[in-house]
Amino acid sequence: MTSKFTSASTIKGVRGLGAARSGVHHWWMQRVTAAGNLLLMAWFIISLILLPDLSFESVTAWVARPLVAIPLLLLILSSFWHARLGVQVVLEDYVHTEGMKLLATLALNFFILGTAAVAIFSLLSIAFGGPRA
Amino acid sequence: MPEAYKIIDHSYDAVVVGAGGSGLRATMGVAGAGLKTACITKVFPTRSHTVAAQGGIAASLGNMGPDHWTWHMYDTVKGSDWLGDQDAIEYMVREAPAAVYELEHAGVPFSRTTEGKIYQRPFGGMMQNMGAGPPAQRTCAAADRTGHAMLHALYQQSLKYDADFYIEYFAIDLIMENGECRGVIAICMADGSIHRFRSKATVLATGGYGRCYFSATSAHTCTGDGGGMALRAGLPLQDLEFVQFHPTGIYGAGVLITEGARGEGGYLTNSAGERFMERYAPSAKDLASRDVVSRSMAMEIREGRGVGKERDHIFLHLDHIDPKILHERLPGITETGKVFAGVDLTRQPLPVVPTVHYNMGGIPTNYHGEVVTLRDGNPDTVVPGLFAVGEAACVSVHGANRLGSNSLIDLVVFGRATGHRIAELVKPGTSHKPLPADSADFALSRLDHFRNAQGGTPTADIRLKMQKTMQRHCAVFRTEELMAEGVDLMNGVYASMQDIQVTDRSLIWNTDLIETMELDNLISQAQCTIRGAIARKESRGAHMHEDYPNRDDDNWMKHSISWFEGWGGQGGKVTLDSRPVHEYTLTEEIDYIKPKARVY
Amino acid sequence: MAEFTLPANSKINGKGKSYPAPNGATRVRTFKIYRWSPDDGQNPRYDSYALDLDDCGPMVLDALIKIKSEIDPTLTFRRSCREGICGSCAMNIDGANTLACTMAINDVKGDVTITPLPHMEVVKDLVPDMTHFYAQYASIKPWLQTVSPEPALKERVQSPDDRAKLDGLYECILCACCSTACPSYWWNSDRFLGPAILLQAYRWLADSRDEMTGERLDALEDPFRLYRCHTIMNCATVCPKGLNPAKAIAEIKKLMVARAI
Repeated sequence: MTSKFTSASTIKGVRGLGAARSGVHHWWMQRVTAAGNLLLMAWFIISLILLPDLSFESVTAWVARPLVAIPLLLLILSSFWHARLGVQVVLEDYVHTEGMKLLATLALNFFILGTAAVAIFSLLSIAFGGPRA
Repeated sequence: MPEAYKIIDHSYDAVVVGAGGSGLRATMGVAGAGLKTACITKVFPTRSHTVAAQGGIAASLGNMGPDHWTWHMYDTVKGSDWLGDQDAIEYMVREAPAAVYELEHAGVPFSRTTEGKIYQRPFGGMMQNMGAGPPAQRTCAAADRTGHAMLHALYQQSLKYDADFYIEYFAIDLIMENGECRGVIAICMADGSIHRFRSKATVLATGGYGRCYFSATSAHTCTGDGGGMALRAGLPLQDLEFVQFHPTGIYGAGVLITEGARGEGGYLTNSAGERFMERYAPSAKDLASRDVVSRSMAMEIREGRGVGKERDHIFLHLDHIDPKILHERLPGITETGKVFAGVDLTRQPLPVVPTVHYNMGGIPTNYHGEVVTLRDGNPDTVVPGLFAVGEAACVSVHGANRLGSNSLIDLVVFGRATGHRIAELVKPGTSHKPLPADSADFALSRLDHFRNAQGGTPTADIRLKMQKTMQRHCAVFRTEELMAEGVDLMNGVYASMQDIQVTDRSLIWNTDLIETMELDNLISQAQCTIRGAIARKESRGAHMHEDYPNRDDDNWMKHSISWFEGWGGQGGKVTLDSRPVHEYTLTEEIDYIKPKARVY
Repeated sequence: MAEFTLPANSKINGKGKSYPAPNGATRVRTFKIYRWSPDDGQNPRYDSYALDLDDCGPMVLDALIKIKSEIDPTLTFRRSCREGICGSCAMNIDGANTLACTMAINDVKGDVTITPLPHMEVVKDLVPDMTHFYAQYASIKPWLQTVSPEPALKERVQSPDDRAKLDGLYECILCACCSTACPSYWWNSDRFLGPAILLQAYRWLADSRDEMTGERLDALEDPFRLYRCHTIMNCATVCPKGLNPAKAIAEIKKLMVARAI
């Protein structure tokens, strides 16, 4: 002990700003999206293997089918959401300066939202038969 | 010289020294009464030695068979070999059930009966029907970790109350003025600062001094610091010659195996495989009181019926008990047996030997926890401002021999009583008298002396010599010749304190210095112990004097008290006197229990 | 950012002393012990002490006491019960946190390296500053909390089955071996309660007598206090009492989900 221990004074630091009353949702969604990823990713990989070939034409034709495009959309949502939740945990673990943490979290959210938007747009373009490259 | 040390002053209504079971219970009592309270402790509270108590806490709840406080009282008086003060014993056994319920309400995870009540097990010397038997199931248990469960609960309770804890502070000396205690001086181990606590009530809850023996179940920290401080304050200690040897310390390691092991059906055997306790205590057998079992074991070993290569220990058998029951009720000792004796209790017997365990003696108090002394012919003169509880104190409820599971109840009952008494005597927020100008001088001169000690004998050497001498000359069997030799040797060991060598000069966490001050506390009590033992020309309870093998109520039905002069190897004179045993009870609901032959 | 290297003043300086084995020693074992004193302004060092195991007790604590008694009285460490129940002598031995008093020397191969509990401020030698750990313990209000009044002169009834739910929890000795073995606690001990304190928190959630379950969960529901546990499991590996804090934390997380969905 460095100095006098009184239950009142040292506890203040430990109690800090109090409990955030959140975290269970984050933790639970990480598990839910993990389960979603597992199912959808398994379906995705098996489907790719079962395709006659992996040419641009046969893959886009396959993706354009509604019962493929919808699960693929879900896979994008689930995996990007899962990645966001996971990387946020890593940032909280290792980035300790508050400003840096805020910036990194913002950057993470923008990055995930941006890349997810690109993925969704690409999928929808194929599904709705948009212009081909 | 004292000017060199920075002194930080504190004022409190009450200061408790020690944070074991009794210290925490007293702290809780005074803080709960609204007094400004400090608790000073040299170890974090849950490291205190109460944590190592295993078997349980005695109270006549009657959860597992008939029981009554008068039966508990009779057993305690008989266990004490009639040296216990019966007013204090009556107080303890009557308050015991409420104290146990209080612990349960605080969250102690007691083991349970099928009806969900507190589980109680048989323990040595605990009987029904005023000693007539059969054994009473009186010892409330949390598996075999009762002390741990209790100490943690008491610490948890203390967090609820507004008491200031000074953790890893070592109390050096009391501040005395005209025979009154005005507070205590302590050193903060973390930074070496000196703290002067001015207090209207100072409670010594510092535990026993088991470490003055070589082989003890006691923790390394059981160095009787309160007893040492009391002696240096010119106060006597009482009945120090009564040192309890626990029958079942693990051979070699000295680690405790609870009496609950025998309570749950364990038994002892000698080299012939004989259950020899049937010979020594035909009715209680392995559950006779501890002094009787220890002496029987020592007798077997002495007569060549010990086990092992050196024939110097005894086997404790638990291998006949259903492993499921062992796992449920004695999980801790199952683990301890494996770690410290390499024995699988479910298959093999455990090597055990009587090991120093408890000091019945200590700072004399009345049943309010107030320290008393013999002054001007009055043996019950209260020392104003000073209190003592727990193993440090001698109330005396344990007399010449303590029954197993009576120590934990002693802690909480008298911890609580002391809290009540202080709340009666001290009004919150009343002003303090100024301390005398030299209040810190004595403590600081001792501290400085030891910190700069440049003799030729390291602390550990002197400590080892003391421990070996006490172990050899003041143990289970005592003879005039052996003790006389011991007195001479101990005088030499004490004198060698003048040549002590402390190597660490730091003020920060200087355990070399702290261990030296602990040794100074131990050695004065060791001296009083052996001198008290050689003076008592009878055998009673744990004091077995082979030249005087019988109890002598005509001449020795009295508490011995001893003063010690000096410290650090100087002086060393022990003065002995006596106080009468309280041969009366607290109320008229029970008559004084008259002495008779003690047979188990 | 989290620190992955030692600060400059914490690096081992290589100036450690070496104490040879006594003459005629038959079974020599070297103890390499971390030494640091706040008094001399020096960086920490490893001192090496060679002991004869035939003249020493079986446990690492026996060796430490022997060194302090016979070779170097300045060696500083906490100890008390020497039987694994008080939790004083927690330290890192041969790379794992444990109690010196129950760790057999023979269970270590080669030199016995001893350092303080990892990632704690060192006060001196093997003595870490535990203040923050204890304050975290106090913060979870570790005492029985009820709404209903205490029964007068009776115990609160608890079935043996309900009592059994406390087994594996109440035995914690607050030695901090688990918490200081947890990487999450290393990085975030300012806000993460760590395995020991969370196990203690679950001890009260699991107690059939305690009536403040919701309030206790409220106080734990926090990304840092609770959810820094990433089931690394070091806690369960090192616990010298064989407890499983990770399991207790998982139970808390289950309760959190149970009340949220």
